[in-house]
Amino acid sequence: MLKVERINAGYGYLQVLRNVSIAVNDGEFVSILGPNGAGKTTTLRTISGLIKPSTGKIHYNNEDITVLSTHEIVHRGISYVTENMNLFVNMTVFENLLMGAYIVKDDRRVRKTVNLIFDVFPRLAERKNQLAGTLSGGERKMLAIARGIMSNPKLILIDEPSLGLQPNLVDSVFDTLVKLHREGITILLVEQDVIASLEITQRTYLLEKGEIVLEGKSEELKNNPHIKNVYVGI
Amino acid sequence: MNLKGIKMGDIRKENSTGHDMLFTGNMRIKSSKITRFKKNTAAWVAIVVTLGIAIVVGFAGGISQVFNAIIAGGMWALLAMGLAIILGVMNVPNFAHGESFMVGSYVAYFVFTPIHNYLTEHPSRFMSAVGPFIGFIMAFIAGFVLGSLIERLVFHPLRKRTKARWVMNAFLLTVGISFILSYGTNLILGPNFRGIPRYWDVKPLIILGAHMPVDRIVAFLLAMISISVFWYFLKKTKTGRAIRAVSQDEIGAELVGINIDFIHTLTFGLATALAALAGASLLFMFQAYPTVGLKPLYFAWFVVMLVGFGNVSGAIVGGFIVAFLQTATQQFMGIAWEDVIPTLVMMFILIVAPSGIFGTGVRGIQEQ
Repeated sequence: MLKVERINAGYGYLQVLRNVSIAVNDGEFVSILGPNGAGKTTTLRTISGLIKPSTGKIHYNNEDITVLSTHEIVHRGISYVTENMNLFVNMTVFENLLMGAYIVKDDRRVRKTVNLIFDVFPRLAERKNQLAGTLSGGERKMLAIARGIMSNPKLILIDEPSLGLQPNLVDSVFDTLVKLHREGITILLVEQDVIASLEITQRTYLLEKGEIVLEGKSEELKNNPHIKNVYVGI
Repeated sequence: MNLKGIKMGDIRKENSTGHDMLFTGNMRIKSSKITRFKKNTAAWVAIVVTLGIAIVVGFAGGISQVFNAIIAGGMWALLAMGLAIILGVMNVPNFAHGESFMVGSYVAYFVFTPIHNYLTEHPSRFMSAVGPFIGFIMAFIAGFVLGSLIERLVFHPLRKRTKARWVMNAFLLTVGISFILSYGTNLILGPNFRGIPRYWDVKPLIILGAHMPVDRIVAFLLAMISISVFWYFLKKTKTGRAIRAVSQDEIGAELVGINIDFIHTLTFGLATALAALAGASLLFMFQAYPTVGLKPLYFAWFVVMLVGFGNVSGAIVGGFIVAFLQTATQQFMGIAWEDVIPTLVMMFILIVAPSGIFGTGVRGIQEQ
């Protein structure tokens, strides 16, 4: 479904990604792990079109999307839930969800998805008239993920959903992701929480200093000495 | 998913005088509003003072002065709204906005004058009534085309090139555009004032004892209708919501599939069109000449600074506040002070409340 081929990308003169290649197949739940500054967010930004790679190609469903603008990529069914969430702070929860469905033409479908969201996130339902800027951190994360779902994407890119959340909320966020995956949505997850990530995903890439250093089935990587040493601290 | 029993540090802001969310089967929503009015004493002081000024002006100068102030207020509101939205959506401090006004004046002149001349040979009551509106429509269209062209040719390439030092770069570019437009007009059309005595040759209406020329009434109604339509557009239509989204979080807007380039072009085009419409509707008051836009620009910026950058709804109220301030100054201190007092007030505002009397944030269109 998604093929990232040897991309080099960065910000201005700072190169962050070096020949990074990633593949995500239909229906998979894949994660990219790595320390701070490794380039995980940069990878997602490049895939979603927010930044352009200097070299390399990105293919989505056999189409070259490397030079497409972000809104065109969104139209093709890719959703990106950023670390900053990028919510519309002066719009209500409900309006944010509506905006998430900007590209959806069918009103009935939008309504259905909204009701589904409110089922899965009762907290958001309670606060649906509240301005997004007044939500707590956990609620914002939920709203960001919910808004990302509103466009009925085939592929969701999620950036560090557990960051800054209290542990029991982290559980519910990951629960939601697993649920989404079971609905058939392909997920590419960027995380720092190695243990949780290895638990819920099928395949994992390890990104260090802009390069992919490890790749494999999450189940097997649980026993990988490098991972255990550096990231789990055993 | 069971999230019951989780205590999170909730910050619950009350919806003070907000309308409640209506979710009807047709996906029509009335958005709730959080008004910062109630919490903002500076704003209330300004409004009360303005009302006080209005009453005093009314007594001293007669009701016609109050009407004049209201009409000027409508114009400033229209101009300031466009300026505020350009600032909020594109983060561009537009100092060429007065030239948009000028273009509207010129287009109205060159459209209306031939019609008027034709009508003196072949009188027609219908055309006499409708003629000026053709000028208004042409001015609006011309403004929209001009604004869209400017955005495509100037700001779009700048955005693609670099986001660094954006505000300064964009500002300088608008100054350049202003130069080109006003001096270019001077070159091509000459510095002469081109005006018309009136749009409609009918007797002034008498409202509450004051003689109000029909031209002024129409200009005011046009401003109010334009503001309302534009407001409705921003609040209720999909594209309007997209514009508001871009002003609040451009990346977020991109990520929900909004075409940012299109929104920028549309916003600049619409704002320019509104300014041109103002210029056209006031041709009987402000003749068309190359630098006619300076004063509207100045006062539009005053309004924007007064209410806080990017605040579109505040710009509407602010337009009237500034208009009454102007009228009161004219009334009690003479016309020579007309520019001095507002400038002093602006300086005071910048020192005391730099983010404006209604403002809280600097970027984004604040909804009240």
